[in-house]
Amino acid sequence: MMTPLAINWSHVWMVTGLGFCMVITLLVVLIFILKLLGTVISNAVKAPKAALPKDVAQATAAQAAPAAAQASADDDLAAIAMALHLYFNGVHDVEPTEIHIKRVERSGWNSKLYGMNNLHR
Amino acid sequence: MGDILEFFEQMGFMNMTWQQGLMLIISFFLLYLAIKKQYEPLLLLPIAFGMLLTNLPGAGMYHSELWTAFLDANSPAYHSYGAIMREGGLLDILYIGVKAGVYPCLIFMGVGAMTDFGPLIANPKSLLLGAAAQLGIFLTFLAANAMGFTEAQAGSIGIIGGADGPTSIFLTSKLAPELLGPIAIAAYSYMALVPVIQPPIMRALTTKKERAIKMSQLRPVSKTEKIIFPIAITTIVALMLPDAAPLIGCLMLGNLAKECGVVDRLSKTMQNELMNIVVIFLGLTVGATATAGSFLNVRTLMILAMGIVAFGCGTAGGVLLAKLMNVFSKEKINPLIGSAGVSAVPMAARVSQQVGQEENPSNFLLMHAMGPNVAGVIGSAVAAGILLTMLG
Repeated sequence: MMTPLAINWSHVWMVTGLGFCMVITLLVVLIFILKLLGTVISNAVKAPKAALPKDVAQATAAQAAPAAAQASADDDLAAIAMALHLYFNGVHDVEPTEIHIKRVERSGWNSKLYGMNNLHR
Repeated sequence: MGDILEFFEQMGFMNMTWQQGLMLIISFFLLYLAIKKQYEPLLLLPIAFGMLLTNLPGAGMYHSELWTAFLDANSPAYHSYGAIMREGGLLDILYIGVKAGVYPCLIFMGVGAMTDFGPLIANPKSLLLGAAAQLGIFLTFLAANAMGFTEAQAGSIGIIGGADGPTSIFLTSKLAPELLGPIAIAAYSYMALVPVIQPPIMRALTTKKERAIKMSQLRPVSKTEKIIFPIAITTIVALMLPDAAPLIGCLMLGNLAKECGVVDRLSKTMQNELMNIVVIFLGLTVGATATAGSFLNVRTLMILAMGIVAFGCGTAGGVLLAKLMNVFSKEKINPLIGSAGVSAVPMAARVSQQVGQEENPSNFLLMHAMGPNVAGVIGSAVAAGILLTMLG
């Protein structure tokens, strides 16, 4: 370790201040680039609708896109809510794990043999 | 009789110093934390076992003196990997990957392949929170200088505040390799302790009303955006800060493999086999650097103390910037997501979610917190690049 007297404080402060500012600056640049990217891509997605008359395209985009996104989100939420409800409330049928020998109840309705042996002559 | 005596004299028990004994006890404790308490077990277990192996007297698996000679410009073994291969043990040979900065980059590749940057793309302002949370790195750099560490060592200690293990190891192996053991152990220990360290700071800096803020749903992100994102980030960051290129490049390569959908085999390999193999090598060798001589001293205690300060300052930086953003922005942000800016993916985001739900059980902050959380990974890699440029 160095002795405290040997510290070049001006350099230390410069690294601290400049270093932190550079982190902020670089990430702010990335924010702008990401926003730009989002805008460009969303415009590119909307571009095919430009073939429609302008007012029709605008109206369709304004109504359909949020509505579709909302419907999709609502469906997802409903499915998640239902799954959680079923899980936490144990609504699913519980399958018995025991194996039973099935006892067949015979009657005149389901057994030919029974019917034949018990003919009333 | 002489042979029997010689056999006993060669036993590790006869050659063990009390410092080695203490290090073995510390390694047992870390193994207990990894197995029983499950604190970051994937990393803590190999680290603790590496610590165990290196402190076994006579085993000869790791030779710290070889690495001292490797760094000594007057030694014939200066920067000679050949000498390491010739005279080193198993862990010395595996340690070459740490020394050359290979393992942290490969781990970043796996992290990229497992990370969804969607929340960050949907809300780019998250990057600001990721940047503010790097405050801890630079404040700790200042404090470490004041405590008498060299600037390079101070930079390596400060990076603990980034809460990013691979980044800490990458930077320390370049700037202050002699501190690699204590810094890696501090970084991973505090990452495991995020649920303990962060909540009191988050509660102290926010009001009940702020913690209960509900945020609007994030917009859906298209596949095209997700594919362009890693390419754009790599190009821009590497052009602005070439020293950050290895970390950011590998992170984004992994992410591109995941998002493009045409190289599923590579993506799965990065996420599983490659990542797991490198984690084993990295953990074992980092643990091996924690020899009694390098670990049991006042300097290690100082590093551990400053590591927790770095974490605390980073958490506070993120929360305070989120509060400041609320002053200027119409759409309110829950300041609790600011604390997730200290990487530690996804633990820090989970902590934001938990603390938020304590105030309002119907509030779901997890996806909102994932934005600053992954921004923190980029932020800490950028901070490491800056420190490397300025101090390397």
